[in-house]
Amino acid sequence: MTIAVKILLSIALFHAAPVTAAEPMDARQLVQAAMDHWRGESSSLENTMTIHRPTWERSLSMVGWTTGDETSLMRVTAPSRDAGNSTLLKDGQLWSYHPGINRIIKVPASMMEQSWMGSDFSNRDIGRSTDIVHQYSHRLLSEYERDGHTVHVVEATPLEHAPVVWGREVLHIRDDHILLEHQFLDQEDVLVKTMRTLRVEQKSGRSVATVMRMSKAGNAEEWTELDIHRIDFDVELPASLFTLSNLRNPRR
Amino acid sequence: MSLLLLTKLAWRNLWRNYRRTLIMLAAIILGVWAMIMMNALMRGMVDGMLDSGLKYLPGHAQLHHPAYRDDPGVAHSLEALSAPLQEALADRDILGWSARVKVPAMISSERDSRGVVLLGVDPMQELSIGFAETDLVQGRFLESATDPSVVVGEAMLKRLETRLGRRIVLSSQTVGNEVGERGFPIVGVYRASLPSLEETLVYAGREVVQGMLGMGGAVSEVAILGPDYRRLEPWFGRVAAAVDEGMVLEGWRELDEYLALSLSIQGGAGIVLIVVIFLALSFGLVNTMAMAVFERVREMGLLLALGMPPHAMLYQVLLEALFLLLLGLLAGNLLGWLSLQPLLSGIDLSALAEAAELSGMGATLYPNLRGVDMLRATLIVIFLGLAASLIPAWRAARLDPVTSMNEY
Repeated sequence: MTIAVKILLSIALFHAAPVTAAEPMDARQLVQAAMDHWRGESSSLENTMTIHRPTWERSLSMVGWTTGDETSLMRVTAPSRDAGNSTLLKDGQLWSYHPGINRIIKVPASMMEQSWMGSDFSNRDIGRSTDIVHQYSHRLLSEYERDGHTVHVVEATPLEHAPVVWGREVLHIRDDHILLEHQFLDQEDVLVKTMRTLRVEQKSGRSVATVMRMSKAGNAEEWTELDIHRIDFDVELPASLFTLSNLRNPRR
Repeated sequence: MSLLLLTKLAWRNLWRNYRRTLIMLAAIILGVWAMIMMNALMRGMVDGMLDSGLKYLPGHAQLHHPAYRDDPGVAHSLEALSAPLQEALADRDILGWSARVKVPAMISSERDSRGVVLLGVDPMQELSIGFAETDLVQGRFLESATDPSVVVGEAMLKRLETRLGRRIVLSSQTVGNEVGERGFPIVGVYRASLPSLEETLVYAGREVVQGMLGMGGAVSEVAILGPDYRRLEPWFGRVAAAVDEGMVLEGWRELDEYLALSLSIQGGAGIVLIVVIFLALSFGLVNTMAMAVFERVREMGLLLALGMPPHAMLYQVLLEALFLLLLGLLAGNLLGWLSLQPLLSGIDLSALAEAAELSGMGATLYPNLRGVDMLRATLIVIFLGLAASLIPAWRAARLDPVTSMNEY
């Protein structure tokens, strides 16, 4: 779940600071700058995740808090069956708590590959957002205008031994650092899945990508949507929030 | 009475009621044929299990950290091998040995991810203990311990929906309890006797894996191959004497108890099978001999009255049984041998592959006909057959000449 917070933020906060576009940035800087914006930020948010399949659909409501680069806590609030499921990301380690079994589990490497709560996001996709800077080489493909903004299309190709399965990824980054689209292509250069920003709103005085949808290519009926209802930035968060103790016994 | 005469009598008596004799012969032939076939198939089955079992175990003995087999992770590794141990491994009776990293890992492609056993190997060592270049169906094997690529099984390639030359990601727990991961290009694809092995074992360069997992020079196991799996001595003792502290040396019988059990059961089961088939046969045999005696009570009484000693009568009936058994065994063994000839090139079990795999067998069963199995069946049948014929023979020898001639 924490990972979701990270992806939410890595995307949502791309825009966070106004761009001082004194000189044009190269492709790597475009991605790097976007990542830098949310570092050191603290935030608290509420969102809904909707998983859609041809025959069913379900929604999960969550609350989350993040601080710094790699620390976050996410907790499911509804439906009641899943309520209380929580995940803590701290010091590069992922911990998960399930009230049903009353156990804290350290998420092992093997689970990084799995679907995140049954959604179209895998933990790997979204778990390490900074990898997109360090493990890839970047190239600016093109630029286009949309809604009065310039959108940069950046191609990110994994380095030879990067732990990345994709052949390449294509990012559409708006000039205010909102990631409009993120395409994942396999090594045959076939599109596998796409994440799109469906809505950009003003929240807490900033523009935030509030609705994002991850969909599988070639299957319009399988997607996962993240919808941020509320997000507050630069909130005061006690250090005790991000502890195993608080993961098990929520005090906030 | 000379043995020659008795032999002659017995042989002629055998063909006096030739229909009955032929029917009994057919029964014996069928029984012996079944014994030979079952033994050959069973031996073939166990051979197949041993072949793939020892090839992928691999080796005939292995060195591990004492806790490795209970918890096969990076935490239970062997530090660099000491000089005396390396010397012991260079034993002239050891065909090859391989120091390998063997840890559970995740492999992922764009489409799928699966749990595997990641093997960090030195290709030269690995080729000396089991892996063969001929196992490869595409590409090449690793070139050195520093080769930053992987060789995966054909079934795994299908599962991951990827192909030769593509990159996959391997991840596993590092020594520091973190996630070590790295992308590897697929340079080779191998085929194993069992699809489940193809989906389990992933080969990568040892030093690359050690680097990825922060293991330094440590390895998970040392696999040692001797000249004969049946006899681990004398090299096993010499290596055991040189083993470093914090290592255990175990033979394949300890490492794969199921395999060892199958092998030891095989011999016993073969004998049980022969005896069971024989028991069914023996009823027919006893009945045939009893009838042969019963029909000739008057004639036997006459012979006894003429001065034939009772023990000669006993031998005569036993000789009849012996001829019957010998004829049956000869034809049965021949039939068994002949009917196995077309099967020796392998029986295709692919229709039953999943069931066969549960017991560690490949999709092809190669019957193994051994002279010792045929000899064993022959000896058991002759011995038990004569024992069963003792009852009618005993009765024939005990006939009273007067009553037998008067009453029949």
